[in-house]
Amino acid sequence: MTSRPLLFVAALLAGASFSAIALGQGFNPDASIRIGSLYEPQNLDNTAGAGQGINEAFNGNVYEALFQLTDAGTVEPRLVESYEASEDGLTYTFKLKEGVTFHSGDPLTAADVKYSIERVTAEASKSSRKRSLSTIAGIETPDDQTVVITLSARSISLPYNLSYVWIVNDAAGDITSAEDGTGPYTLAEWRRGSALALSRFDGYWGEAPSNGEVIYTYFTDATALNNALLTNAIDIITSVQSPDSLAQFSGNPSYTVTEGASTTKELLAYNDRVAPFDNVKVRKALARATDKARLLNSIWGDYGTLIGSFVPPTDPWYVDLTGVDAYDVESAKALLAEAGYPDGFTFTLDTPDYDPHPIVAQFLQTEYAKIGVTVNINIITANEWYTKIYQERNFEATLQEHVNHRDIVFYGNPDFYWGYNNPDVVKLIADAEAAGSEAEQFEKLTEANKIIAEDAASNWLYLYPQIVVSAANVTGYPVNGLNSQFFAYDIEKAQ
Amino acid sequence: MSDVAASPNRRRGIVSLTLMAGIMLVGLHIAIGLLTLVWLPYEPNAFTGGRLEGASLAHWVGTDRLGRDLFTQLMIGSRIALTVGLGAVAIGATIGVSIGILAAFASRWLDDALAATLDILIAFPTLLIAMLVVAASDTASLGSAIVALGIALSAIVARLTRILAKRVLVMDYITAARTSGSSWPKIVAIHVLPNIWPTLSVNFALQFGLAVIAEASLSYLGLGAPPPNASWGRMLQEAQGTVYTAPLGAIAPGIALVSLAIGVNLLADGLRARIDAARTLS
Repeated sequence: MTSRPLLFVAALLAGASFSAIALGQGFNPDASIRIGSLYEPQNLDNTAGAGQGINEAFNGNVYEALFQLTDAGTVEPRLVESYEASEDGLTYTFKLKEGVTFHSGDPLTAADVKYSIERVTAEASKSSRKRSLSTIAGIETPDDQTVVITLSARSISLPYNLSYVWIVNDAAGDITSAEDGTGPYTLAEWRRGSALALSRFDGYWGEAPSNGEVIYTYFTDATALNNALLTNAIDIITSVQSPDSLAQFSGNPSYTVTEGASTTKELLAYNDRVAPFDNVKVRKALARATDKARLLNSIWGDYGTLIGSFVPPTDPWYVDLTGVDAYDVESAKALLAEAGYPDGFTFTLDTPDYDPHPIVAQFLQTEYAKIGVTVNINIITANEWYTKIYQERNFEATLQEHVNHRDIVFYGNPDFYWGYNNPDVVKLIADAEAAGSEAEQFEKLTEANKIIAEDAASNWLYLYPQIVVSAANVTGYPVNGLNSQFFAYDIEKAQ
Repeated sequence: MSDVAASPNRRRGIVSLTLMAGIMLVGLHIAIGLLTLVWLPYEPNAFTGGRLEGASLAHWVGTDRLGRDLFTQLMIGSRIALTVGLGAVAIGATIGVSIGILAAFASRWLDDALAATLDILIAFPTLLIAMLVVAASDTASLGSAIVALGIALSAIVARLTRILAKRVLVMDYITAARTSGSSWPKIVAIHVLPNIWPTLSVNFALQFGLAVIAEASLSYLGLGAPPPNASWGRMLQEAQGTVYTAPLGAIAPGIALVSLAIGVNLLADGLRARIDAARTLS
């Protein structure tokens, strides 16, 4: 292992920005920041199936929400001045910030907030967050600065869930190719297939951005993206997908490579409904037969993080569970024998055809052969995965990357594709949502987290790193990229 | 006059050189392929080294991301490529020659229909037909890849057989055989096949090369033999992302693939030249 001059940034470092590096040097307040990305949005509306690219470009930059999920993983008020929940937790009253205007010049009012939430919960909305807002029973606007939300059941995550709801001007109409938000940037130009340009909004209510404009340029392959940075056609790559392209940048003083925390987890998901995976001993045996450290090194070199459950370190209910079912081939064999499979068994692993899944599948095939378990690899497309596994649950085991933040709640849903059904966990996760305080919520989810790890509900292989590469004269960008966000307003470019 | 007499000899000299090179390259792959049945440097899927190691005495062409020995995989790749090539050509030849002969003997309208169908099939790229066949079968396997390529190649063989057979069928000795009461299976066996065989065999060698490259393409696209079968195409695909840091991972299977394809083509060229020379002499 060669050591590389890598600026490692601990995930939980608050603020998590590099502005300190530009020490002593002035930055250009009108600089143009050129960002290279692989994720071009399909359209500009996050409730119309635009893809993760729109979050990257627009969240916090063009649109703001009542609350903001910060790069450090905390939820903080954004367009909300103050808020309070009633004693029974079923009524939330939000006071909006004064003096906020949309890019079109209209002032922010409570009616806009009501409109914006209803956009997400509407029948036609394709937002992945629709379900988490389903407890909202009514929204009232007693005056222009006050929004009252009533719930059908307690929902401690309401502020967090509202951080996904863009506040849009209720007069904006269709926003699939235009925008009207309150953020520090306005949309200057969108050239479909190539670029999206944002320019500073001079009427912004908050602190002005430290750059003049931001241009997202979209690439379809990683090599072209890397070459663009090497030829100074862009300043930043938002998310590097393989450690091997980094060789060109790390160790070169012209570039900065940062590793932050992602929420993307590589998973061997069993179908817990079917034999032999309905047997906890079998699942634990496979977990113990997996040398995850070796796998992570194979895929990501010196990057990435080992996890012992579905919860990444940026979720508040994280505990280090890597010690549960640690790598131990002998005890794996013993467990298999106890479970009634002394000679092992054979199963089919449905493997999505894109990197890293096929190589991970081959790794598992070799590992499990050591305990007598035969893995038949069946390569499928992403579409086949969606119908065969996610919808029809017609599988024994599969590989998948799960990108969402705070998604342990999937284990509280026995109808989810992996079919994990532990009544204690279902209850803990439901109770956590109905908790009276965050402390209580965290406690219950931490408990649920420990149980799924003990149950080896799935085999959590590793957490992807979030790697950002930039030209050395550019600083202040977010390093964690939670929920694909990429806040651009603190980015500084040296003069 | 002496020039004319010398020319066939000189031609034969060139023929042998091409043929020799072809035989040596193909022979090397056959030898390696056979060797894998009894001996391999390492367990093919064992993690025997670190991530993306370079060439060393222990690992002649380095290791892949999982630390598996690439030379071992290359050797197995030879066996798989030869198996696929032979299998596909065998299937393509059986189907193709049968249809071609049938068309040559068939009535006018059936011949026209078959010829038109073959022309349409040939208009599709071999790889596309193979992909359709693989997609139609439930799961990708070595067998499905061989069958797919065999079917894809059969149209080309059929068209060539039909043309060659028709050319033989208008000969006087065929008319003589027919009038003397020979049945058509007998005519095919005694007169047609022996006459068209030399040209067909050259074509089979070319088809073999096509099949090897098509199999690598299928595997590259994830439609070939699934892991743990070490196909050169899959090795190329897996090495794509690491081509800057570990170029050997892509170069080595590339060279293996090209050397077999060139070997087979040289072999075919050499055979054709020898057949042509024999014809000229006779």
